[in-house]
Amino acid sequence: MRAATPYAALLPMALTVIVAYLGTMLWTLRTSFTASRTFPSDKFIGITQYTRLFDNERWMLSLHNLAVYGLLFILACLVIGFLLAVFIDQNVSGEGVLRTVFLYPYAMSFVATGLVWQWLLTPGTGIDGSIAALGFPDFVFDWIVDQDLAIYTIVIATVWQSAGLVMALMLAGLRGIDADIWKAARLDGIPAWRVYVSIILPMLWPTVATVFLLLATSVVKLYDAVVAMTQGGPGTASEVPAKFIMDHLFLRSNIGLASAGAIMLLVPVLALLAPYAYARSRRNRERGHA
Amino acid sequence: MYTAPKFKQRALALACACAALSASADTLAAAAAASAPRAEVIHWWTSGGESAAVKQVAQAYRAAGGVWVDTAIAGGDQSRAVTVNRIVGGNPPTAAQFNTSKQFFDIIEQGMLNNVDDVARAQNWDKLLPEPIVSVIKVDGHYYAVPLNIHMQTWIWYSKAAFQKAGIAKEPASVPEFFAALDKLKAAGIVPLAHGGQAWQETILFSAMLANLGGKDLYLKVLRDRDPKAIASPAFRNVLLAYKRLQGYVDPRSPGRNWNDATAMLISGKAGMQIMGDWAKGEFTAAKQLPEQQYGCIAGLAPNAPYLMQGDVFVFPKTRNAGAVQAQKLLASVVVAPNTQLAFSKLKGSVPVRTDVDASQADACAQKGIAIMKDRSRHLGVSEVYLTPDQNGAMQDVLTAYWNTNMTVDKAQKNIAAALSE
Amino acid sequence: MMAQTTLTPPLVHAPVAVLARRRRFTPARIGIYVFLFGAALFFLLPLYVMLVTSLKGMDEIRAGSILALPVEWTIEPWRQAWSQVCTGASCEGIRGGFWNSVAITVPSTILPILIGAINGYALSFWRPRGANLLFGVLLAGAFIPVQVMIYPLVRLLAGAGIFGSLPAIVLVHLVFGMPVMTLLFRNYYASLPQELFHAARIDGGGFWRIFLHVVLPLSVPIIVVAAIMQVTGVWNDYILGLVFAGRDNLPMTVQLNNVINTTTGTRLYNVNMAATILTALVPLALYFFSGRWFVRGIAAGAVKG
Repeated sequence: MRAATPYAALLPMALTVIVAYLGTMLWTLRTSFTASRTFPSDKFIGITQYTRLFDNERWMLSLHNLAVYGLLFILACLVIGFLLAVFIDQNVSGEGVLRTVFLYPYAMSFVATGLVWQWLLTPGTGIDGSIAALGFPDFVFDWIVDQDLAIYTIVIATVWQSAGLVMALMLAGLRGIDADIWKAARLDGIPAWRVYVSIILPMLWPTVATVFLLLATSVVKLYDAVVAMTQGGPGTASEVPAKFIMDHLFLRSNIGLASAGAIMLLVPVLALLAPYAYARSRRNRERGHA
Repeated sequence: MYTAPKFKQRALALACACAALSASADTLAAAAAASAPRAEVIHWWTSGGESAAVKQVAQAYRAAGGVWVDTAIAGGDQSRAVTVNRIVGGNPPTAAQFNTSKQFFDIIEQGMLNNVDDVARAQNWDKLLPEPIVSVIKVDGHYYAVPLNIHMQTWIWYSKAAFQKAGIAKEPASVPEFFAALDKLKAAGIVPLAHGGQAWQETILFSAMLANLGGKDLYLKVLRDRDPKAIASPAFRNVLLAYKRLQGYVDPRSPGRNWNDATAMLISGKAGMQIMGDWAKGEFTAAKQLPEQQYGCIAGLAPNAPYLMQGDVFVFPKTRNAGAVQAQKLLASVVVAPNTQLAFSKLKGSVPVRTDVDASQADACAQKGIAIMKDRSRHLGVSEVYLTPDQNGAMQDVLTAYWNTNMTVDKAQKNIAAALSE
Repeated sequence: MMAQTTLTPPLVHAPVAVLARRRRFTPARIGIYVFLFGAALFFLLPLYVMLVTSLKGMDEIRAGSILALPVEWTIEPWRQAWSQVCTGASCEGIRGGFWNSVAITVPSTILPILIGAINGYALSFWRPRGANLLFGVLLAGAFIPVQVMIYPLVRLLAGAGIFGSLPAIVLVHLVFGMPVMTLLFRNYYASLPQELFHAARIDGGGFWRIFLHVVLPLSVPIIVVAAIMQVTGVWNDYILGLVFAGRDNLPMTVQLNNVINTTTGTRLYNVNMAATILTALVPLALYFFSGRWFVRGIAAGAVKG
């Protein structure tokens, strides 16, 4: 009887997972094997949608872009967020103001802020125009209209939006570290930067892991930023998988292909999450046995 | 106070009377509303000019005795997604906006739309409306949508000031003259072609070349019949080359630019020409420029150049609710009425779908359009009219890749053939 | 003990290195301020552009540069955005959806937090069998783009007869909010000492008693954190409110989208910027007033994996 209550309390979660999430994943899988257009159909066509997917240059490019973007975005957010947190933690004056300044982008809808970034990064009329006017007439920053560099502009804008959140989370993690550690390190004469690298960072590892997880979800779901800034362009240069899926879901009325794309996006996520979950459950089991 | 009780009594009586009056007024109003056909309409006309235009339709509907409930959702694909989801969810609107295209073909196939055959046959839509429009609203002999307007996709707008500066005396009337004009503009230091680097705008440039250079027959063979021989033909190859040639005339900052920012370049005289639909007039008007005075409009580059039609329609989700069906029929007949057509198109920048309207109120460019519309041989639909959204999208992907990368014309031809073969 | 230290919000914590002596303007400190100042400029740049654009007339915007201050200042765009701009056949600005957004956000914050807390509590203290597997799938679900799930959810809710209503949108926000909420609470509770829990069990506490009397009182900081994240997400949500809330409950973001987004209509950039800032004021105010809580909350070990 005692054992029943936790199960009962977890009923909403179980229902959500099974009905909403698992149900959707299975439905999407099923649809990806059909010739569905605007509506799901019962016409099964095997793996045709998948072959069409991998013959599609736009999809392949979107996968490549996602890998490049994901790596840079997560790295930049972690580094910048960490640095901001460390520097703010140095007992600077105006900490409250600084924190708000770094956090406010998170509150704003990217539909408009994305457009602002497009304006800022447009060669000639954006930032490079102003820098040129300041006395560097040859300065041109035209990544956003360049086939190969457009995706990096998306990195810049999304790091702007998310680094503040990472900073806040890291700052909290830093503040949770025992003051004695600092004292001991001081006594040992270790320079400040080494304390951070060799002692603090390893202690922050759990924080970093959770932040990494949250950042990874936004990488996989990247859509608003691309639509607001480049519409996937120039041409299809900054295409990302979520936009490819969305376009085919609504614009192109081809939910069969969109479902195939969604499944292909989910598979690597599951592949990465499974070992993480396994490692955690092992650690929990060991801890639980204490 | 001695007068207080009496005052109170009178106040109470007055209040009771007021309440009774308003209650009966309410029931009267409710009764009136219950009998008036109520139409909830989902559409995506949210900007200033578009809002004013849809208000005309709403007013006409109200004047005909109906109640208009407005559900505006910006962004065509979002609006259509909501419509589809609401139909699936069992809570459909009375009417919903779609483009004159194959977008709602699947919904018809699933039997999710009511037809408006009575209105259509009573007004003889087969004769009244242009053939490309009838081809998308009439499926299996039934009429499933009522058209609101006709936009022409490939008008060539030009800035009079820029033409003067470049020494272009008369409007180009053929494709070679068009390219010559572009060269003159370039020599004068003006951006020859104002362009916004988005896939749909590139498709407009392509359509303009296909219609003007390729001609009506090739256009239909490629887009309507999807004939592989036509796509592989040298004529089509020339069209693709001409399309790519246009890229030499746009400024390097064009990728990602919104179409109205490109029109702004014409307004300020920084650019010479733009190929864009007639909704561009709204931008000129907002900047207080007038047709044939500060800017000009060219419909085509040949005397019989095709008039590429696109537009908007209302569809009517299936319902057995008698009141809703009545509202749908009323809305259909209101929309096609000549007055509504004129009032709507005037504010929207389009032309009416029926050719028997009084064109004297329309602006100079719209009058040109209405005159051309009288010639049925020039009627042609945009690519969406003939292709499914998926085929159209796949073709757009190839066109924008061809425009932006150094893809060879042969590869582009092959890819378009693949895109249109599904 | 470590556990004790992490529970009490460290109010005046600072690296001893700095605390020990008076603040001197060493090169290191100057470097810190320079870095922070530079970063602040980068972060504030878009806000500057938005504000400046929202105070200009359209002619200036069409002609001028985005970084220039307005030649003619005007607050017309703000007034228009709030109450006059057209969002369809009605031209009443974005204020119409404000109370709808509130009506959606309040339950859509309370319910997911409550359920997230219960989930986290059960997962970290009681650990019933199979719960971790469920949690794993839940976390995987957090990676699925929202739009992919719309069609199945529409069918589900239509089948339940509540599609297009306030309960429907609250339920949808619950479904999409559950992964992150559960993650937050689970990690927070995992950092609390297990002895607390064991002691309470020995004292005869059951599932709900321990939750209500022991765990929940300790959760105040993380609840604030969760509230901030959830309010931001729900207030700025557009697509879910659009599809599931029903015509009478459309949130403010739908009007905002109607103002900003248009395919073939003219764009009023100044009104767009004003409307965006107006819409963002609620989450911004929340950040501003509970910024301290936010950091303090997570300080109590929320993110200790």
